Amino acid sequence: MADEVLTYSEDPALAAEVSAAGLETARALGGEAAAIEPDDAPAGRRASSKTIVAKGGRKARGDEEAIASAISEIAKARNSKVILIGSTKSGRAVGARVAARLGIPSLGTAKRLQVEGGRLVATREVYGGKFLARVAARLPCVAAVQPGTYQPGPAAESRVEVYSVSLKEPTVRTLEVRPKPSNSVDLRSAEIIVSAGRGFAKREDLALAEGLAKVLGGAVGCSRPLSSDLGWLDEGRHIGLTGVYVHPRLYVAVGISGQMQHLAGVKDSKLIVAINKDKEAPIFQSADYGIVGDLYKVVPAITKILASPGA
Amino acid sequence: MRPSLKILVLVKSAVDEAELKSDASGRALLAGAQTKISTFDKNAVEAAVSLKERVGGSVAALSLGSQDSRKAVKEALAMGCEKAALILSDGPLDTVATSYYLAAQIKKAGGADLIFCSEGSSDTFQDQVGAMVAEFLGLPFIPYAKKVDLENGKVRCEQILDEGVRVSEAGLPSVISVVSEANEPRYPTLLQSMQASKKPIEEVPVASLKGPGLPGTAIEVLDVIGHSVARKRVILEGTPEEAAKKLVDELRLEGAIK
Repeated sequence: MADEVLTYSEDPALAAEVSAAGLETARALGGEAAAIEPDDAPAGRRASSKTIVAKGGRKARGDEEAIASAISEIAKARNSKVILIGSTKSGRAVGARVAARLGIPSLGTAKRLQVEGGRLVATREVYGGKFLARVAARLPCVAAVQPGTYQPGPAAESRVEVYSVSLKEPTVRTLEVRPKPSNSVDLRSAEIIVSAGRGFAKREDLALAEGLAKVLGGAVGCSRPLSSDLGWLDEGRHIGLTGVYVHPRLYVAVGISGQMQHLAGVKDSKLIVAINKDKEAPIFQSADYGIVGDLYKVVPAITKILASPGA
Repeated sequence: MRPSLKILVLVKSAVDEAELKSDASGRALLAGAQTKISTFDKNAVEAAVSLKERVGGSVAALSLGSQDSRKAVKEALAMGCEKAALILSDGPLDTVATSYYLAAQIKKAGGADLIFCSEGSSDTFQDQVGAMVAEFLGLPFIPYAKKVDLENGKVRCEQILDEGVRVSEAGLPSVISVVSEANEPRYPTLLQSMQASKKPIEEVPVASLKGPGLPGTAIEVLDVIGHSVARKRVILEGTPEEAAKKLVDELRLEGAIK
C-alpha cells in the first residue's frame, strides 16, 4: 500500500509528535504513515511503523532547500497524499518549499488535523490568537504541526527503508552557529512558567522572577520587549505570536500588560495568574487569578510563603 | 558592489486583528472588516529602506490583493519605497498561488537583487510566502533574519532560529524574511504620507500573469470562530502579603502547585 502520509521534523522530540499526527491522519485516510529521517537521527525514538532513512541526509542539516528537495522527491516517488512537517522556524521554510515545488496547497501551523470529505482540515489560530479558523485543503497537501499538540506514541517496531537523496551544493552557507545559552530552556514543555514583562525596571530585578520560578519548580519566560528590545533574556524565552507558544499547567505573568501578541502564546495555559500594578491592564481579562499591586512587593511575598518550610 | 542594487519588499494588506469583531454566534465578521498593512511587513519595509540608505540602490514594494491593498502599499511608499506594483486579484488566493503570482511579476519586472518579506502576516501568520517565492524563482531563502549586511556582493544575515543564532551568507539575488525584532519601523511624517500618494503604483491584473502549470486555489476557509478560553478573572485583594497568601491557597486548591 502507498504511504498516504509522510512526516518530518529536524527536531527529534517534535518528530515523534508529528509521527503521532501522521498515524492518526493515515488511519483516517485508510493508509500508512512513514517518517522521514536523516541518516544520523538518534535511533530508538521511532514512533512510526515505517521509517524512510534519507541516505546522505545528514549533510543537509540546516539546509532547508536541500531537505525540501529530498522530501519532495520522496513524496513524488510514493505518491503521498499528506506531508506533515513539525512547525519550527526551519520546518516552516521546508514545508513551504515542498508545497511550491510540488504545486500543492499548504496549511500553516495547525493545532489539530482531521480528514473530512477527502480533504485535510486544519484548526489553527488566526488574528493574533483571537480566533480559530478551520481550513480545508485538497489532497495532496502539506501541513505544519504545532509543537505540543500531539502526544507522541510509544516507540514502535519500525520497518526501515533507505532512500538515497541527491544533494546539491547549498545556496545559503552557514558561517557560524551560536547555540542558545546553556541556561536556556525549552519552554514548550515547561509545566510551570513565571514570565516577566516591562514592569521590571532593571535587568537585575529579574532575580525576583527567577526566585519565584525556583520555588515553584518552573522556568522563566518573558514578553517580547525583554528579549527583543532590551536583550535581558535570550530569544528562546520570548513567549507570544512571534516567539514560542507554551501550554503550562500554571502561567504566572509578572509585570506583563497583556498585549494580544503575547496572549496568543499563552492561551493554552491551564491556569493563568497575573500580577500588575495597573488594574486596567488587559492581562487581568485573560487571567484566572489577578493581584493588582507592586510586583516588587507581591512577588517576594509569594516566594516567601512557598519557600517557608511546612507552609 | 554592483552599480544599482535593486531591492524589493513584499507587503500585504491584512485584517486589523485588534478591530475584528464577531457576531452573536462567535463568527468573525470578516466582510468589510478594517484592514491595514500587515504589522510585521513594516519591519520588512524598514529593513529594505534602511539597507538602501546604507548602501544605495532603489526599493520597490510589491503586493497582491484587492483595491483595498492600496492602503498598505501607500504605507510602504510613505516609509520610503520609491514605487510599487499591486497584483489585483478578485478573490482570495492560497499561499502557493499568491507566491506563484508574486514570483511571476518579479520575473516580468526584470528580477531584483534582494527580496525582503516579513516572518509572517499578522492576520493568519502562515509564514510561507517568502520560502515559496524563493522556490518559484529558484533563489536562496534566508528566513528569520535579524541583521542584514552586504559584503563583497554577498548578503550576510544573523538568523534567529529555534536552535540559536545562525550566521549565514548567500549570493545575490536572495529572498530574506525579517523578524519583527530586527528593527523599529519608522513612522512616516505627514509630508512623507502626502508625497507617497504621488508615487506610482502599477496595477497588474492577475490574469496577465497566468502561465502553464499554474496552481489554483486549493484551500477553503470553512469557518473562523472566536477563540476565547473562559478565565475566572478573580482579583485577590489585600496587602501584598494577604494577596500572596490567598493566591497560594487558591493554587493549592486548584492542584496547580503542591
